[in-house]
Amino acid sequence: MIHLLVSEVAQSTSSDGGPLWLLAAGPAGGAATYWALFRYYRNTDKSHAYERDTLITAKPVQGSREKVDHISKTRQSGIDGDNSSQHRTRVTRLP
Amino acid sequence: MTHDAHGDPQQPPEPKSPTFDGPPLSLEEELAAARAEPEPGPDIATVNEALDDGVNRCPKCGSTDVRLRGSTGMLVCLFCRHEWQEARVEEEFGLGEGIDDLQGTVIAGGAEDIDDDAGNVMTIKCGGCGAEVVVDTAHAMNARCHWCRHTLNVNQQTPNGAVPDAVLPFRLTHAEAVEKIREFASKRRLFAHPRFKKEFVPENVLGVYLPYLVIDARAEASYVGKGEVQTRRWTEGQGDNKTTYYAADVFRVDRSVAFTVDDLTVEGSADRAKVDSTTTNNIINTILPFDTKNAVKWNSSYLVGFTSEKRDLDVDELQPKLQDQLLSIGRSRVHDSLVEFDRGVRWEQEKVDVGGSRWVAMYLPVWLYSYFQEDTGMLHYIAVNARTGETMGSVPVSQWRLITAALTVGTVLEGAAGALLVAMS
Repeated sequence: MIHLLVSEVAQSTSSDGGPLWLLAAGPAGGAATYWALFRYYRNTDKSHAYERDTLITAKPVQGSREKVDHISKTRQSGIDGDNSSQHRTRVTRLP
Repeated sequence: MTHDAHGDPQQPPEPKSPTFDGPPLSLEEELAAARAEPEPGPDIATVNEALDDGVNRCPKCGSTDVRLRGSTGMLVCLFCRHEWQEARVEEEFGLGEGIDDLQGTVIAGGAEDIDDDAGNVMTIKCGGCGAEVVVDTAHAMNARCHWCRHTLNVNQQTPNGAVPDAVLPFRLTHAEAVEKIREFASKRRLFAHPRFKKEFVPENVLGVYLPYLVIDARAEASYVGKGEVQTRRWTEGQGDNKTTYYAADVFRVDRSVAFTVDDLTVEGSADRAKVDSTTTNNIINTILPFDTKNAVKWNSSYLVGFTSEKRDLDVDELQPKLQDQLLSIGRSRVHDSLVEFDRGVRWEQEKVDVGGSRWVAMYLPVWLYSYFQEDTGMLHYIAVNARTGETMGSVPVSQWRLITAALTVGTVLEGAAGALLVAMS
């Protein structure tokens, strides 16, 4: 929601040519300051990085790909719902 | 004439009534019991045969005043200063071997299912004077005999989850832990809650052995999803109305990876395993990992002077957590194989086959400073890994100071943005 709002503001321009999105700098900076300080004190986002800190011996990754579609024109710069880096986000379990 | 206070000696004594042990069994039940195989022992027997419940004596002088010497990680006799240690379980029980060949679920003796009927309170017969001394194993594994002052120890595995397979002794001393906590908190003074600052006494830190299950596992994880590869990028429009467009090929992507994990560590206490916004348990989770390879055979003398929390989660209850962590590990392993999909990958389905797992219960050492924030009802922890020194904590914040800082930064930025816009007009 906030992302969309910022995006809309970013794309708008003032009548005299000045970018109006600059006006979002105050609220955005204030919110970022609050969350950065809160996280530094409370560390609510921290947990054991077992993916990295455990002794793991892996065999080579197996896999394949198959073209199923083509997107001819989109304004999105990336795939919708990219979760390739969110290792702890669970998806549907295969039986 | 003397009178026999115990009655007529001519009368035969009354036979002792047998202890009632439930209703009699039927003939079929008696026969089944007679034919039954003996109950199987644990997959890995980890009982320290050299020790019994009761007094643990110094092998040199026989004193029972034995405790951990943190600076050396060895047991020390406080009477003759002799030092010794138990053997590492890694070699003693072959825990570092055969992960590639693990089949099914292998559970060490100290990690077996907890018997709900088994109480926490144990009565130990003092090996020094014969007195019976009570130990509440929910919080401690040692007690002083109040008659002869011997230190009594719980060493035999009990079905209540209080005695693990191994223990990793404290290495950091109390003074070092206090210093770590003070350093951590001193970096977070400005926006800390004033009452926390006023009541902060790091010397109150407690040494506690927390229960963990340490898992070796062999698994294969598979993932299916969609990946996109950009084929074209172009811009339409003029001046300020430019828009960037993309074209992409969409692929069905599948990946699988087989791997083994060595000493994956999960919380064995339900209270500690619960991680959500109402607790700060994530703090204790963050100080993992421990050097679990250095864990030694159980000897409760390592716990003298510390508190302990007993395990209350069984292996079955932790299987979903193991699978969850294995899936995450697998996802991190396949990540590097996705570089060709420059627009990203969206995983949609996943699966993990756990070929084999081995579970060992351990007590791991944590220096724990806790602070209860009354206005929010939140219990904040600052925890120090008593092996590696890794420190993590939750410091209660002063909300009005935080909001003031945010408003100040926001106002400055807004002023700068306004000035920039005026300059541009």
